[in-house]
Amino acid sequence: MADADEAAIHLPSQDASAHIEIDLSDETQDFRMLSNISFLTDGSQASIPKRGEKDFEPNPTLYQADILSASRQAMHHALSHPRIHHPKNQIVGVYAPDGPAPPPQRTTTSVGGLESIAEGSGPAPAEPSPTTITTIGNVHPDACVYVANPKSNLFKTIGQADRWNRIWLLPEEALFMLERGSLNIRWPRSEVGFDEEEMDGNGVEDSGIPMSLQAAYAAFASRGGLNSERFSVYTGLRRLGYTITRAPGWDDDAEDTTGDDESTCNENARQQGGGAGLVGIYSRFINWLCPPSTNTALGPVAGVGFHRSYDDIYSKLSIIPWYDPTATPKAERSRAQAPYRVVFHVYKPSTPFKKSAPPAPDFRIAVVNARAHTSVPTMSQLGALLESTPLDPPSSEKMSRQMYMRLRHGYRNVILAVVDEGVVSYLRISEAAFGKEKLYKQKALGNKIQHRPKPKGR
Amino acid sequence: MDSDPLLPVPISYIAGSYFLFSIDAVTYLRREHHICGVLSGTLPQIPQQNVFLGLPLKLMPEEARLLVEKGVACIVDEVKAQKEGMRALREADRQKYLRELESQGAHAMRLQTSRKEQQREEALRKVEAKKAAAAAAAAKKTTANVGSGEEQPASAHPDDAADEQNNQNQTSRRASTTSNSTTSVIAAPYGTTMGITPATSHPPLPYAPSAAQRLPAPAVPASYPLFARLHADGYYLSPGLRFGCQYLAYPGDPLRFHSHFLVVAADWDEELDLMAVVAGGRLGTGVKKGFLIGGAEQVDDADSVRTFSVEWAGM
Repeated sequence: MADADEAAIHLPSQDASAHIEIDLSDETQDFRMLSNISFLTDGSQASIPKRGEKDFEPNPTLYQADILSASRQAMHHALSHPRIHHPKNQIVGVYAPDGPAPPPQRTTTSVGGLESIAEGSGPAPAEPSPTTITTIGNVHPDACVYVANPKSNLFKTIGQADRWNRIWLLPEEALFMLERGSLNIRWPRSEVGFDEEEMDGNGVEDSGIPMSLQAAYAAFASRGGLNSERFSVYTGLRRLGYTITRAPGWDDDAEDTTGDDESTCNENARQQGGGAGLVGIYSRFINWLCPPSTNTALGPVAGVGFHRSYDDIYSKLSIIPWYDPTATPKAERSRAQAPYRVVFHVYKPSTPFKKSAPPAPDFRIAVVNARAHTSVPTMSQLGALLESTPLDPPSSEKMSRQMYMRLRHGYRNVILAVVDEGVVSYLRISEAAFGKEKLYKQKALGNKIQHRPKPKGR
Repeated sequence: MDSDPLLPVPISYIAGSYFLFSIDAVTYLRREHHICGVLSGTLPQIPQQNVFLGLPLKLMPEEARLLVEKGVACIVDEVKAQKEGMRALREADRQKYLRELESQGAHAMRLQTSRKEQQREEALRKVEAKKAAAAAAAAKKTTANVGSGEEQPASAHPDDAADEQNNQNQTSRRASTTSNSTTSVIAAPYGTTMGITPATSHPPLPYAPSAAQRLPAPAVPASYPLFARLHADGYYLSPGLRFGCQYLAYPGDPLRFHSHFLVVAADWDEELDLMAVVAGGRLGTGVKKGFLIGGAEQVDDADSVRTFSVEWAGM
C-alpha cells in the first residue's frame, strides 16, 4: 500500500526525537556549542552541549557569515588548547625506540663488567644475568614508552609494570595518553643527537625534550602492528570510557586462541535431548517402544506410524537441515585472516578489570579499513572470524524468556569496526540459531504465550 | 585572528594516512580551500567524549591529492623526517628549544595561577557578599525588633567596603608581583613552569621538509574526478560510509550546514544495479538528502564529470 510506504518514509523525520537516538558524533558539531562549557571550573564538565541549529544552505547575508566565522573562531580556539602539565602532577614518560629494556647502569661498563656491578647493587631486585637484559618482567615486546612515576587513574587499565616499578606503555596507549594531555613523553638522548661523551656516564636516558603530538604520531602510529584505523578504534572507545586491550589476534602470524571450553558445549548438548523428569522418561519409553519411522522418501512427510504428540509430527516435518552453532567445531578450523581477526578485547566501564588477570572481554572487535576492503566479508571470512570467538549462548534470565532477544544475541558474536578515513562504524555480527528455537514447543507451553514482542522501530 | 601558514603546507604521511597537526594550517585550509578532513584526536580539555574531537586532522587521500595539485601542500614522510630531524639536532638547537618551551611553560603557569587567584578572590568576594547580606538581614531584623535604627547597617557597610578595598589591594599587589617576575623566576609552589606537549614539531625541526623527505602525490580511488568536480563546485566533502555512501556533500561549511547529497561515484560505462539506485534514493530521502551519482566521461578528467541526483518521488 502506497500510504504505508509513505508513512514509513516520513516516520523517522516526524518523530525523530522519540524513536531515533541522535548520535551527536555522527556529524560535525558546531564548535560554538563547545565554548559554552567552562573548562576553568574543572570537574563540573558534566554535560556535553546539545546539538546546535544549522542552516539549510549558504546565503550571502552578513548575518550568516558572522555566525560561520564565529563558529570557526570557536573551533580554532578549542583546537589550539595547549596540552600543559602542572609540575606537581605531571607524568613523564620516556620513549624507548628499541623496545623494553632494563634501566641503564649508573656507570659506563663493558659487557663483562655489567654483571658484577649489577650484582653489587643491592636495591635492584633483578637477577643479574644476561637473560634479564632481554626479559624484564612480563612486558609486551611492542611496548615503547616507560613511565617512572605512574600516578594516574588511567594506569589502572593501561600499561604493564616491569620489575623496576616502571610502567611500560604500548604505542597506542602512549599515544592516547599523550593526546589527551595526561602524559608528557620525552625523547631519549640517543634520538636527539647527543654525542657519545654526553650520553654515557650519568645513565640518564631522558633528554628533557618533550615529544610533540606530531612526533608521537610519527613514532607510534605505525609501530608494532598499530595503524591509524586500529588507533581510531582504540582511542574512540577509550574516550567513551571502555577499557580496551590487544587481543591475541593482533599480530597477523599469531595463533588466535579462543576461550572455547568444551564443558559449555557439552552442557548445551545435554540440554537438547528430550525433556526432564517423568515426561522425559515417558517419551523416551514410547520412542523405544515404537520408534518413529524415519522413512520419508515414500509416503507422507511426517512418516507413517504412531504419532503421540504434535511435537513428534513437527520435528518430523523439519526436514531442512540447519546449522547448530553450539555443535563442537570441526577439528581443523579455518584460520581467521586479517583483517577479519579479533584485534581488540573491550570491557564495559562497569566490568571490574584487573590488569594482571583480565576477565573475559565483553566485546571482541575486528578492525576493517573500508578503503582497502570495499566489499562485505565473504561467508568463509565471517565464519572463520566467528569461530575464533568463544561460544556465548544467550543465557541471561531475560533472554531465556524472550525468543527474539535470544535470536538477536546469537551464540557467537563479534563486532566489526569499519573505519572510513577516521570515521568508525560499528557492526555487531552474531550467529543466530533459528533452528534451535522450536516454535511448536513454545506453543505447547500453553495456548497463551507471553506477550508478543513488539517489532522494534528500527 | 589566526595567522596564515606558509605555503606549501606540509601534510604528514603516517601509517598510511594523511595528517595535519598545525592548527593554523587546519583553519586556513578550511577557510580558503574548503578542506575539512576529519578531526581524529582527543581534545585535552574534555577527553572523555566523542562529539568534539581535536588535532590531528585526518585528510582523505583525495583531499591531500587535491591540495598537492593546487600547489597548496606537499606530502612529507613524517616518520623519516622526525627521525632524521631529531637525530641531527645540535646542542644549541636543543638549548634554544628548551628555553622556548620553558618560557611558554612559565607563561602558562602564570596564566593559571592568576586565573586561580581570580577565581579564589571571586569566591571569597561572593562569600563576603553573602555574609554582608546575612548581616544586613540580621541587622534589619534587630532594627525591626528593637526599633533603634540606622547605626548597625551603617556600621556594616564600611566594613564591607574596607574588605573590598583590601581585596583589591591584594589583587593589585599580586598582579604587580607577577608582572615583576615575568622576566625572572616566579615563586610558584611547585616548580616554576608547566610541562608542555606541543602540537607540532616545527620549532625544533624545520618547517619545510627536505627533498628527500617529500613524497609524491597520494594515490586516489577512481572516484577522484567526481570528488574534484564537486569540490570545485564549492561543495565541502567528507567521508560518507556512516551514511551509506562514498562522500557527503555539504553546501557550505559542515560546522553550519547539513549535507545535501549522498555521493556515490560510478564509472562511465559501469552497469548499475537498479536496486542500488532505488536503495540509494530511498536512503537519501529517508535522511532528507539527495542521492547523487556521478562519474567522469573521460578517465581522470574532472571537467567531463556528470552528476545525477535521484529522489524518491513518492507518487
